[in-house]
Amino acid sequence: MNAEMIFLTFFGGAAVWFGIVVFRTHSMVRSALALLFSQTAIGAMFLVMQAEFLGVLQIMMMATEMSVMAIFMVMFMMDPGGLGAMDMTHQKRLSLWAGGVGLVAALGLTLGVDWGPAALSVPSASAQIEMLGIELLGRSMFIFESAGLTILTAMVAATMVAIAPQDKGGAK
Amino acid sequence: MNIAIILGSLALGAYIIAIVESWATYGRLRLAGPALAALALLGRESVLARKPDRLFFETAPVLLLVAGLLAVAVIPLAPDLIITDLSSGALFLNAALAYVLVALIMAGWGANGAYGMIGGWRFLGQFIAYAMLIVMPITAVAMRAESLMTTQIVISQVELWNIFYQPIGFVLFVIAAMGLAYLPPLDLPLAPGDLAGGVEAEYTGVRLGVLRLARMIIILSLAGATVTFYLGGWLGPWLPPWAWSAIKILVVTVAMLMAGHYMPRIREARYLALSWKLGISLALANIFLVGVIALVVPI
Repeated sequence: MNAEMIFLTFFGGAAVWFGIVVFRTHSMVRSALALLFSQTAIGAMFLVMQAEFLGVLQIMMMATEMSVMAIFMVMFMMDPGGLGAMDMTHQKRLSLWAGGVGLVAALGLTLGVDWGPAALSVPSASAQIEMLGIELLGRSMFIFESAGLTILTAMVAATMVAIAPQDKGGAK
Repeated sequence: MNIAIILGSLALGAYIIAIVESWATYGRLRLAGPALAALALLGRESVLARKPDRLFFETAPVLLLVAGLLAVAVIPLAPDLIITDLSSGALFLNAALAYVLVALIMAGWGANGAYGMIGGWRFLGQFIAYAMLIVMPITAVAMRAESLMTTQIVISQVELWNIFYQPIGFVLFVIAAMGLAYLPPLDLPLAPGDLAGGVEAEYTGVRLGVLRLARMIIILSLAGATVTFYLGGWLGPWLPPWAWSAIKILVVTVAMLMAGHYMPRIREARYLALSWKLGISLALANIFLVGVIALVVPI
């Protein structure tokens, strides 16, 4: 077992552990930040697997996304500090089934699919960035742009729904 | 060896800017001031608030320090005086400094005090204002250098420094950097005067010392980033490269510290509106202009 495998196992374990903490805690802020550190650990796994750009990007994006999520949770939940011992889980039977089916599917894919021979060498980090850039601005451009637009539309729509209707004056 | 040199110069730099900051604030030059203040903080009792979120409260100052130190790791002081010359260095700097936000939210939330909590969440609002204006000017810088490596970015400025090549980007980046380092007039998370210290309000003793030191390092790392991206890094005549880096970083830091004393604090709503309506339009224009210039004039 070489150093790479040890670090990969460590960060993988950390990601799973923080994932569990998300549901074990009562505090919304702790839950959001546990999710952040779970995702950061996945970013560290990318770094261990020599996908430098993806790792750095993951670590950067998650810090901001999860912080923004935390403030939304604090704004909209009834017990953000967890002082009333709020439970993070709901619809338990459905969640258990969904989680179980997801686990079986993921394991089946991981073990059942022929992944081909493992890569013996990895392109240098700067070569990876260049290849990613060409991929993003070429073949995958349409997919990424349409996904981006969809997310933007969803954000605008969600904000519109969340704003309380205002009396524009003179209605009553 | 590089790590030792850079950490040593970081400690010296932090000490110098602590002197300058107190000079700018109180108008008296006290060379021993920061050392005495640090001793006083170490000697003072580190009080815990009632019912704190202990995990966040203890982690936040350390996380802030780690974020600052990681950001420093990709800033070159000379061609070979850099801790790690990552291929995605310019992005890594952002990734490290994104955790300043996380640390301040944790510090504000963990202390179980109203002032701290408001300070922490205020910084999130401030983040939404400055974040794009850090990344978008860096995009234009990377476009010219055709690389995200910080050393390549410096080398790309041999002919002409980026401050002259993309002045709009420079101005936007420096203002955003001051927001990131919560320097006045953008010191909303601390806001002495209306938040009684904000995020730092519930911290005392050693923990406050770590928070303050971390902030000094963040200021230095951002001054270093400004020098690397816009002021030609180590480039300059006569003096050795490291000396040029040191001089430029100190000048930028002092300018950032002094600027705040001539401006009133900006309200977060106004800062957000200005950043998004004016700042992002300018940043997009900057990217477009740099793209056109890079295609037309080969310098």
